[in-house]
Amino acid sequence: MKFLRHLTAVVLAVTVIVGLGMLWAHASGGTGTGSGVRRAPSREALLRLEQIKAGVIRVDSDTGFSLADAGDLIRTCVIEAVLAAVVIAVSAVRLRHRRMRRTAAARA
Amino acid sequence: MNAGPRTSLADPPVIASRRRILARTRLDFWLDALLLVAYTLAYSLGFTGIATHEWLGIGLGVVLLVHLTLHWDWVIRTTRKLLRRGGRERFVWLINLLLLLSMTLCIASGILISEVALPELGITLPASSFWRQMHGTTATLTLILVPIHAALRWRWIVSVARRFAAWRPGRSR
Repeated sequence: MKFLRHLTAVVLAVTVIVGLGMLWAHASGGTGTGSGVRRAPSREALLRLEQIKAGVIRVDSDTGFSLADAGDLIRTCVIEAVLAAVVIAVSAVRLRHRRMRRTAAARA
Repeated sequence: MNAGPRTSLADPPVIASRRRILARTRLDFWLDALLLVAYTLAYSLGFTGIATHEWLGIGLGVVLLVHLTLHWDWVIRTTRKLLRRGGRERFVWLINLLLLLSMTLCIASGILISEVALPELGITLPASSFWRQMHGTTATLTLILVPIHAALRWRWIVSVARRFAAWRPGRSR
């Protein structure tokens, strides 16, 4: 019951964020999506859909992982690791300072 | 109001409660690990390809809803105590809020500019430069915020990982 209550609150929060994004898009005039009158799909989108239906474009042609492009994955991992290392280092230094201060205060 | 003397009969609920907490910790740990791996893969578009990227993104959105739901207590508690709390908790709260905003907008914009997943479901949306730009910006922002969000809880991660490393089958931990 508690889980459902929290899930409702989360869905509501996410809906508000997406709604605000839609409003932003509408205000900037850069989109045809939204809750208002929907713009018809562009010719390119319709053509692409027809091609997918006809099998000209295989939508699953690039599924599966490409080890040849592992550089992209490595780059993401490196960025994440560097940022995490910086945060952990700062946090560890702060923790050590706090402990030292506490020990000094206890001795005094 | 006396709760009465403690007897051995009071032990089973305590053990049950402890087990529940440990099961919850285990769920949090593995769900968070799964989210981090899925996010890293989803961000690496060149590695996954567009179809996997899109389906992974949609799946990530669903798991994120569960992650947020499991931690909603923390959100409410910290938001209420925000004015009284120190700088670190406030910083963690701010990072989490920014991450919620950017991740939500990233997934929503990703769905709106979908080239494979939505057409496969028979849904086509008009091409929009706004959502394309939004997706790129929020994805970059998310790449910065995700490692910070995870690293801010490194002590919890280390302590749980240590407990798992010390765990032996048959022992209730």
